[in-house]
Amino acid sequence: MMHSSRLTRRSVIKGGLGLALATTALTTLGLPMPAKAAGKKVIIGAFADGGLTPFKEKIIPLAKEQGFDIQFLEDEYGVTLEKWFADAQSGAGQYDLYLLDDPWVPQFGAANVLEDLGAGGIDGSDKDWIGPMIDMGYWPPQQGPRVKGFENAKPTLICVPFVGDLQTLTYRNDVFTGGAPKTWDEVIAKGKEGVAAGKIKYPVVFRGVSGNPIVTSWYPVFLSFGGSFFDDKWNPIFNSAEGKASADFFVGTMKQNAPSGVVEFDSDQEGAAILGGEAGAIIQYSGNALKADDPAQTKVAGKLDFGVVPKQEKAIAQMGIFIAGVPKSAPNKANSIEFLKWYVSAETQAKLSEAGSIPVKRSAFGVAKPGNRLIPVALQQLDAGALPRPRTPDWAKVEELLGIELNKALQAGSGGGAALDTAAKQVKDYLTTVGYY
Amino acid sequence: MQTGTQARKYRLQGAGLDLALPYLMLAPGLMVVLGVLVYPLWDGLRASTRAYRYGSPISNVGFQNYVQLWSDAQFLNSLWVTVKFVALSVSIEAVLGFALALFCLHEFRGIRLLRTVLIIPMVITPVVVAILFRLIYASDAGMLTALSEAMGGGGVQILGNPLNAFIGLVVLDVWEWTPLMFLILLAGLQSLPHEPFEAARVDGAGSWRVFADLTFPMMRPVLAVAIVLRTIDAFGTFDQVFVLTRGGPGEATRLISIYGYDTAFKFQQTGYAAALFVTIGLVVLALAFSAIRLLRRVDAS
Repeated sequence: MMHSSRLTRRSVIKGGLGLALATTALTTLGLPMPAKAAGKKVIIGAFADGGLTPFKEKIIPLAKEQGFDIQFLEDEYGVTLEKWFADAQSGAGQYDLYLLDDPWVPQFGAANVLEDLGAGGIDGSDKDWIGPMIDMGYWPPQQGPRVKGFENAKPTLICVPFVGDLQTLTYRNDVFTGGAPKTWDEVIAKGKEGVAAGKIKYPVVFRGVSGNPIVTSWYPVFLSFGGSFFDDKWNPIFNSAEGKASADFFVGTMKQNAPSGVVEFDSDQEGAAILGGEAGAIIQYSGNALKADDPAQTKVAGKLDFGVVPKQEKAIAQMGIFIAGVPKSAPNKANSIEFLKWYVSAETQAKLSEAGSIPVKRSAFGVAKPGNRLIPVALQQLDAGALPRPRTPDWAKVEELLGIELNKALQAGSGGGAALDTAAKQVKDYLTTVGYY
Repeated sequence: MQTGTQARKYRLQGAGLDLALPYLMLAPGLMVVLGVLVYPLWDGLRASTRAYRYGSPISNVGFQNYVQLWSDAQFLNSLWVTVKFVALSVSIEAVLGFALALFCLHEFRGIRLLRTVLIIPMVITPVVVAILFRLIYASDAGMLTALSEAMGGGGVQILGNPLNAFIGLVVLDVWEWTPLMFLILLAGLQSLPHEPFEAARVDGAGSWRVFADLTFPMMRPVLAVAIVLRTIDAFGTFDQVFVLTRGGPGEATRLISIYGYDTAFKFQQTGYAAALFVTIGLVVLALAFSAIRLLRRVDAS
């Protein structure tokens, strides 16, 4: 009897069914078995940053003791805004809690995709909050100019401060022997002496990459020169005489006293420069500062101290806190709000402070043993002055336009003032297009 | 023995199933194509005629987004950077790929290993390639700087200088994608008939004459296909730039894909970004059609 190898309808259907069954079986076997819930599940989305290390290492275990099952998902800073915004807007429900960078709050607020935490029982009027930090959680903002369409809207608490990060100065105490340099001129002059003495290679190091990094580095210089960003009608005024002087100083004097490749430096290179012993001083958030006393992470343990940012006119830092919001699409919304209530309690904030992170409640700054020398300095900086970035949903675009022009001027090593003029025109044009005026 | 009614029933069932089966078999694939290709395309076209605010559509604006593109200095700059990048990268890849293919056509000891080694770059994930090149280019701790300092020089500035960063990006692309060009052209060369080449050798033609009069003309269709494929692909380059430079310094390496991504996802100008990508899609389509028409004309002549 001969076997026919002809393709028949029956064989095709049988083969197809077999393949489908095999695929289903393999897929099912290959999938991880869902773990039995270890408590009240909360999926937290965060961008990778050293400032969250104490939270991850010390507070998450405490949360587990409180019955929370925390899933902590980290991503690169550069992709989180778009990823979470898409998640919130599409209602995908991938996260229960976002740890946002504070300038993103207006964008999420304007799109109305975050829960009202005040209605959830979190008290925004608690006097223990650091005032400027809790203010950042409201949309529209309680103070300052509001964008069109939100002039008369009632401010709603859509986010709560999570880690109270702000810029401070990290400096080498063997170079600046008289304590933290008070002015930018002192940073440069004493830094040059440190270079001449062979203690350091560069008086100052900063971030020069276009977009958020360069604007973040320039902003405290800009504020210290007395600059303001927008007027009450959202007209850009950062190209004022003070602003231009700060930009010229930044792309000129500061670049001349920084590594030649500073144009391509981001926070990694900036951190490596101070922890590796090459830089005399940097302005930074808490991420690298938390490593300053660990010989495994720095070559100059014991030689790094912290201080208030230098001034020209004022000593004002940029505030850039981690701030938590619960998406309306969160699958475990009630758990998230319960977790936040526990997290922002004075007791947990004290634990956060002991773990080494900058807390968001004033009482927690007074713990007997703060986990990091930076914490009291952060409070000094708050009292000296720390400002958030303008509360507009279009900050990402504004920062991009300004960052590109500043980066071009930094490459050239001059023309900071002209760069601000160009950027101001571009910002004005853009805001006009999207209906600000 | 079957009754007449039963036989008619079986016949009808068989004929009906025969007619329906091809459509039934096609249906799942068709559903997938409709779901993941046709609908998103339609939705994208629809989005390109709308204005968005805070990520949601607020009004229909017709073709205003398309018109606005041509007065957007950032769009025009990124388009120009993309055109320069594609032209330079694909040209170099074509020349190098052709040279390598001609070289590897010869049989000698170790040729199989060499052919395998040559295609390794294109099988590495683009993001990994970009990270590797970042480790080479970084001015503070990159390999080039280390080499330069070991030889008594200073730091090498690639990513902080607009021209160098652009060239660095082209070098990365050439390193990664010349193998694709090489592979396509090698396959083309191996499929050429032997007789004309043997005849030319018998007639005493030298290597250059053989290349100019036989190899190149016969390879033109394959070369054109390879160039068109790479051009379309290069227009969509994203991962490497995103990791290596994010479009900087300034806007020196800001390809249209990066600008479109930022516009859509970072700045939430969804409609405008959709118009941008539709426009680029049309430009690439026009380029591909032109190349194919040119190819047909060459073939005809």
